[in-house]
Amino acid sequence: MDVTTGGIATRTRSTSRLISLCVNSEWHEIAVKPRSTLVEVIRETIGLTGTKASCESGICGACTVLLNGRPVLACITLAVECDGKQIRTVEGLADGEKLTAIQEAFLDQGAIQCGFCTPGMLMSATALLRDNPTPTREEINKALEGNLCRCTGYNSIVDAVLQASGQGVKPVMK
Amino acid sequence: MLCRWGPDARAFAGGTDLVPHMRAQLVKPGLLVSLGGIAPEPPRLLLNGSVRIDALSRLADLERSDLLRSKVPMLVEAAHVVGSNQIRQMGTLGGNLCQETRCLYLDQKHDYQFVAPCYKRGGACCYPFPRNGQDTCWSVYMSDVAPALIALQASIEIMRESGTRHIRAEELFTGNGLKPLSLGESELVGAVTIPSKGSGFGWDFHKSTVRGGLEFGMAVVAVALRLAKDARTCAESRIVIGAVREGPVRLASAESSLASGELDEQHLAQVAVAASKEVNPLAHHGFSRRYLMDNIRVYLRRTLGRAVERARQEC
Repeated sequence: MDVTTGGIATRTRSTSRLISLCVNSEWHEIAVKPRSTLVEVIRETIGLTGTKASCESGICGACTVLLNGRPVLACITLAVECDGKQIRTVEGLADGEKLTAIQEAFLDQGAIQCGFCTPGMLMSATALLRDNPTPTREEINKALEGNLCRCTGYNSIVDAVLQASGQGVKPVMK
Repeated sequence: MLCRWGPDARAFAGGTDLVPHMRAQLVKPGLLVSLGGIAPEPPRLLLNGSVRIDALSRLADLERSDLLRSKVPMLVEAAHVVGSNQIRQMGTLGGNLCQETRCLYLDQKHDYQFVAPCYKRGGACCYPFPRNGQDTCWSVYMSDVAPALIALQASIEIMRESGTRHIRAEELFTGNGLKPLSLGESELVGAVTIPSKGSGFGWDFHKSTVRGGLEFGMAVVAVALRLAKDARTCAESRIVIGAVREGPVRLASAESSLASGELDEQHLAQVAVAASKEVNPLAHHGFSRRYLMDNIRVYLRRTLGRAVERARQEC
């Protein structure tokens, strides 16, 4: 009999497994179904709803989180695969009330319209700036190609990454 | 475990192809065997000058590898145009080679469709090509990396229960959309080895897309050639077109006609015209056969030109 576990069809019923996830420097012991995806666990079990679930098929990038430092799509990552790994979500960027440079730059550039793509954009941009502190416009486009913004506000997003990397782009919202 | 469970088990590495297909209910494995706990060996240079790349290497790591950048830049460029940054961070080289073929009527969640299952889903019709017989599936194999590996004369190490076997990269593909790979049950792609290239070697790679990122190609062109000693003609070449048939297509006639004349602009243009007729692309994802032939003709001419230019610089 077909059953559906976390949106993914399987042909056998599966029992839960216990995994440990370090989400934003805090360890969680969680029982997950073998075919639950990481975004479901982050949002529904841990309760961090900053990470968005949108296309759920690895296209839009709204669910991007950093898994052991790599930007990955949480909607097509199985939670059991992440046992013992470090996960950073958008909630883990700011230090209390103090936003990171890339978050400030998104505000300064008005790089947020409806805001649904913003968590994924921020995580991809964070990984980019860590690996390449002064990216060109072309490199930013390439790094963010997996994050779709249906409001189509791409220019201000790219400007925000340029501003955060200190490349002379001035804030427009102040 | 793969041997014990047979076809009901699927190996799982990056999951960027398998998980969306499981969501679309195209595959319903009884068991997933995760390869995620196996750390890939970094690419290494063998004593004979070949480069060996572990199939579990992430595509993003291939892009960043200094060894691969210097020894096999075409593979780096091919890895660079796959999917999006996140897909390349997750997806592996072996997984990219073993991806499912694609068709508008196949890789969709079935709730979105207005048709019954096609042959590949166990149904009774080929919807894009209704005259196809029972055993024919004209879905398209869309790996960007595979044409580059075939052009580079790579060999593939296949792991199975009784040891390993080696095949040439082109032998991985059957040309049958219903079973596009020649891998047997419980066989896995273990590694890829690319032989060294001497002087006079030139290459170029092009992937045609609509948006320029985060999409499968409409046509992929990979060219590798070696100039003859006079640097005016071509001693050997490989012209491979991907994303237009059930597997990558090597154009043998175009390769021999390339070798038959001096490598000037006119000759390259003639080869490109002949090659676009030889490839016989399948209309796919809204691109007509005529459009794809024109696309291949234009971009093959340009890639041949750049490959010859590179080869002349290497002389």
